[in-house]
Amino acid sequence: MINMQPYQNPTYFLFITLALIPIIIANLYEKKLHWYQSISTVAFLLLSFGGIKWHQGIALIIYVVLEVILIKIYYEYRKRANVSWIFYIAVIVAIIPLVIVKITPAVYGGKASIIGFLGISYITFKIVGMIMEIRDGAIKEFKLRQTVEFLLFFPTISSGPIDRYRRFLGDYDKKLPQKKYLDMLEKGVWYIFLGFVYKFFIAYFFGTILLPQVGQNALAHGGISWWLVAYMYVYSMDLFFDFAGYSLFAVGTSYIMGIATPMNFNKPFSAPNIKEFWNRWHMTLSFWFRDYIYMRLVFFIMKKKLIKSKITIANLGYLTLFLIMGFWHGVTWYYIVYGLFHACAIIICDMWLRFKKKHRDQIPSNRFTKMFAVFLTFNIVCFSFLIFSGFLNTMLVHHIMK
Amino acid sequence: MSVKKRLFLIFGPIVCAALIIIGFLFSPFRPDKISQSIIQKAALSQSAQVFKGMAVKKAAFKENYVPFFGSSELSRIDALHPSVLAQKYHRSYRPFLLGTAGTQSITQFWQMQGFGNELNHKKAVFIISPQWFVKGGIDPAAFNYFYPRPEIVNWLLKAKSTEEDRFAAERLLALNPKDSTDVIDDSVLRIAAGQHLTSFQKIYLHLVKNELDREDQLFSTISLNNRENLIKQREKELPKKYDIVKLDRVGFQLGEANTTNNRFGIDNHFWDHKIKPVYKRLAQEQKHFSYIKSVEYSDFQLVLNEFAKHHTNVLFIIPPINQKWANYTGLSMAMIQKFDKKITYQLNSQGFTHIANLTNEGTQPYFMQDTIHLGWRGWLAVDQYVNPFLTKKQSNPHYKINNYFYTKKWQNMSY
Repeated sequence: MINMQPYQNPTYFLFITLALIPIIIANLYEKKLHWYQSISTVAFLLLSFGGIKWHQGIALIIYVVLEVILIKIYYEYRKRANVSWIFYIAVIVAIIPLVIVKITPAVYGGKASIIGFLGISYITFKIVGMIMEIRDGAIKEFKLRQTVEFLLFFPTISSGPIDRYRRFLGDYDKKLPQKKYLDMLEKGVWYIFLGFVYKFFIAYFFGTILLPQVGQNALAHGGISWWLVAYMYVYSMDLFFDFAGYSLFAVGTSYIMGIATPMNFNKPFSAPNIKEFWNRWHMTLSFWFRDYIYMRLVFFIMKKKLIKSKITIANLGYLTLFLIMGFWHGVTWYYIVYGLFHACAIIICDMWLRFKKKHRDQIPSNRFTKMFAVFLTFNIVCFSFLIFSGFLNTMLVHHIMK
Repeated sequence: MSVKKRLFLIFGPIVCAALIIIGFLFSPFRPDKISQSIIQKAALSQSAQVFKGMAVKKAAFKENYVPFFGSSELSRIDALHPSVLAQKYHRSYRPFLLGTAGTQSITQFWQMQGFGNELNHKKAVFIISPQWFVKGGIDPAAFNYFYPRPEIVNWLLKAKSTEEDRFAAERLLALNPKDSTDVIDDSVLRIAAGQHLTSFQKIYLHLVKNELDREDQLFSTISLNNRENLIKQREKELPKKYDIVKLDRVGFQLGEANTTNNRFGIDNHFWDHKIKPVYKRLAQEQKHFSYIKSVEYSDFQLVLNEFAKHHTNVLFIIPPINQKWANYTGLSMAMIQKFDKKITYQLNSQGFTHIANLTNEGTQPYFMQDTIHLGWRGWLAVDQYVNPFLTKKQSNPHYKINNYFYTKKWQNMSY
């Protein structure tokens, strides 16, 4: 059986197009084809997790069954009681598989865990979000079929964007007026074609053509060189256009299905500071971390009165958030350093913003300073991506081997 | 706006674009011809696109271009480089440079699939680098860089359950190139296992072949490295008439003038950029290097097999190593002699008898442009073999291919 990774080649897009035709027609008649959507979900999951990747498919099925049972149990429990430690246990149990998958390669020399599958992180984020909202009482109704559809929504299964259950459910059930759907369809098609430009033109140029050459030269030169600087920018461009392109495919496909999956990027490189950068870069992930880790930690500390200083609390929140994000990317030194780097950057950014507020009249603010802010942020971000790329690690290994 | 009009505005452009592209890529219709000037540029460019492609190579070998297979030494374009000599002295042939830093036997084998039958009963020059013959053969990253999709598809359509094809497929799997099409991956797997392709696979591969051919024709000659001016400049450094004594003097003078900042006779620029930063570390560093046991011998056999199949008459050149440099790095000359014997046996025993063995010339001044790459006087020495071989009539070769050279036993034989 053939196996295809999402949005990787023209054939996959051909399949998606064919699968979407009935959905488009139904939506134009202001109808929802729930049963058909379920069938196409299964078909596309088979395409990506069948064939030579069948073991991932098995892992996915077992994972989803167990996690849905967990959500259901916690939901039933929450209707009757609301004890904190039960909630903590539910969250911990929910993330155990992800933790195992992330730690396994670090312990077993790069080997992937057998319970892992493409996109496990993104499903886990959705699940943890659901459990937290169940605890808050925000999710008032647990619907089995919709939950499964939400978790396995195929356009976003492999790498997000990370949707929220309640938002998804609204779109899933809502019958769109024809005019509104046409607007979405138009946007969806536009996003997919913009994605083509991003991923198959720009990212191809940076990632496939330029990056290997620049990398080769940087390695040959060793140490700090202009080639390394070039690598930093080329890698950053590749990372952005590749991921943003992918996200556009996912969002575009969702829109055509009448579901307004949230956007993942909003011109991140024009951010004037690091804080703003994270409001524009991989937005669904950073908002997830903000809402479910940072905010909760801050509230928790304030409620228990563990720390008085609001600044300290915020900084502790940043450190926790970015450390977890670092570990989530993978248990290697460079991902963790990447997390710490951003935590420090955001703490410094906050300090500066406070300082600026106090001394507003002394600090100039004009077009030049604004441009400089964007320039500085861009370079700091690119440097963090150099850490993130693992290339420094490759260089180190290369150096030692010599 | 009516629904129909909006739908037309949304999908109209896509449908048009799709129709044009499908018509363009998949139709077997091939109107354009590759021009002389493009061939000339491509022959000198050493571009990966040309190397991996098929259209330009085929067109070139219909003309008087002769493939010069090799690797990084081909880019040492000084005044005595084969391309300069051929042009300056109006030879009946022009070299088509095939290979650059990072290409080895297996990459050459794959790109040869793109010749079709253009090389049948013709001549070729092949420069062997001893440095290829390290234990594991080619670096997978380098292989991936030259991953020749059009050639692989072409080859799959012709592959049979022979020793050669099975070995080629196995190597392909071992080097694990990332082809995003599973049909191709699966087809390679089938050939490696000695099975036939399914009819679906065949139809699919035919369509892909059309598409790749088209891509190759359209894009492989875009932004070629233009070296024609470089060649013209180099020509000016040469005497009007071909005179070996005068040319040797030119080689000597050029070598002398360009190797002033080190005691190894290495080109100044190369020394400054590649060697100087790491030079201290390299002392006696290559003492244990060995080019004797390597999978490269079987990869090389694939190339020989291909030549035999097409009855191509080939001149093999085995370049030396800069002796002063080898003394410094501790590279064993006894090992090089063994390498020499082993490769020569593989060639001779199968009927490849045109061998220019320059191994012992490493002591000559300005023979090498740097550490392991031919230059100035070395190129002139090469010309003493190349010119007669290509311009005079040669008797037809008789090849006897021996599959023994695909075995682990041969790869690991110490000679």
